[in-house]
Amino acid sequence: MENRDQLLTPEPKRGSSGRVIVVAGMFIASVCLVIFLFINSATLKEIAFSFYSYRDPLGALAEKDSVQLTKQLNSVNKRITTLQKRIENLMPYGPYMVVNTTKNTFVLRTRKEIIVEGICSTGSYVLLDGGKGKQWMFKTPKGQFRILSKIVDPVWIKPDWAFVEESLPVPPRNHPDRYEYGTLGDYALSLGDGYLIHGTLYQRFLGLPVTHGCIRLGDDDLKAVYKNLDIGSRVYIY
Amino acid sequence: MDNNNRYKKKFPLRAIVAFVVILVLLTTISFILFGLYPVRREVKNISGYIESKPLNNDATLSPELRKLIDEIRSKEHYAAFLNTTLKHSKGDSIALFIDLRDSLAILSFKGVSLFESKISGIKINSGLKKLPHFFRDSLYSGPMEVNEEISSIEKFPVVVKKAPKDTIEANQASAPVLPVQYDVFLAFSFDNNMVIQIDQQEEDLIGTKQDYRRYWRQYSRWFRNKNLNALKSSSERGYIYHLAIELAREDARSIYRALPLKPAVVVRY
Repeated sequence: MENRDQLLTPEPKRGSSGRVIVVAGMFIASVCLVIFLFINSATLKEIAFSFYSYRDPLGALAEKDSVQLTKQLNSVNKRITTLQKRIENLMPYGPYMVVNTTKNTFVLRTRKEIIVEGICSTGSYVLLDGGKGKQWMFKTPKGQFRILSKIVDPVWIKPDWAFVEESLPVPPRNHPDRYEYGTLGDYALSLGDGYLIHGTLYQRFLGLPVTHGCIRLGDDDLKAVYKNLDIGSRVYIY
Repeated sequence: MDNNNRYKKKFPLRAIVAFVVILVLLTTISFILFGLYPVRREVKNISGYIESKPLNNDATLSPELRKLIDEIRSKEHYAAFLNTTLKHSKGDSIALFIDLRDSLAILSFKGVSLFESKISGIKINSGLKKLPHFFRDSLYSGPMEVNEEISSIEKFPVVVKKAPKDTIEANQASAPVLPVQYDVFLAFSFDNNMVIQIDQQEEDLIGTKQDYRRYWRQYSRWFRNKNLNALKSSSERGYIYHLAIELAREDARSIYRALPLKPAVVVRY
């Protein structure tokens, strides 16, 4: 019996299966190492770059003496001043406004100084699905705009989406239900395409992206903007 | 039995030695293949170009002259940077200007600087650091158009809202829908094998760790593919010039959302 058992489970076989496991383990570990090194090849390249360097040809500069080099330096400095002046001239002469739609902030400024800066509200990026294929995207357009008109005590002519949003029947054009007084604050400045800079009844939402595309300002800020921006003044929205 | 014991005693030691040798060999081969080979190829390319330039020996120059030359080159680079700003002002899109000298990231539109953000951290990899000035200033300062981008935030944070069915539902939904704010990590890649990474400076995450990991997974996948392609094809360049800057989270968000889909980026070193 003893002899038969020994024949059925020979010792060397157990050893070889263990060996297979060890070899497989080694193989997997080796593959993992290669993958790890490949993933971290940026570090390997950083190390490899420490073995290399370039020479930095100085070109024609190295052939010049200190007098010539000083002359060239002065000429570059002059060029820089000219370029800086030309860039400065690209800025508007009068007051202009810059609106950050991500932070919901604005700056009213001139070339030299900031007149007023503060928080505002811009487009909410809500896509209103009115059904029947009607959709409205409430975002503030980006780019360079000009003030097209200035209005005191503006009246809001409610567009279709204002009714859809409140689940009210959409009245025909010029219907009295479309006219709302006092909603837009004391002043409004038109940027075109129905987009306005105006006031708000919802002062607590200033600084948040909650509008339908217009730029809402607090009362005092709106007054400053109305006072300083003329028709044709530039408004940059980004 | 005696043989077997001997085998058991010897096998682990032999195996360990063989394993260590294999690991060392693999590490060396990997270093050559993934590190040294792409770097050597890149260096060879650039050196070939430099060889064509007239060599003027630095050793003959006095320190004063060398300082003067460095100043001229730096000023020339700044003049080129301003020139690009001027040229770009004729275009119709916002561009990102990264001024590493003054540590500023600037959004410029038609020559008007709309937004400036202080750069709190700059990391440049060895390849970019070691590039000869004239090469770096001409090829890696721009204007470069973004080829691909990876971002942890959406460009347009659109929230879809169904119109309410009745006035009761409309009243309930009158509170504004505010977009969820995520952490900001961006990477722009360019045709010249350069990557500009913009990371938020804040270490604490406002979003989930999952979102953060998703971005890094996406980024490393892109990087892996790039390396793999370089290994497969000899025409692909395997070395990536990498510049990473850190900005305040909300500034980075403002910059990313203000930029158009394929923005131009200009760097001043």
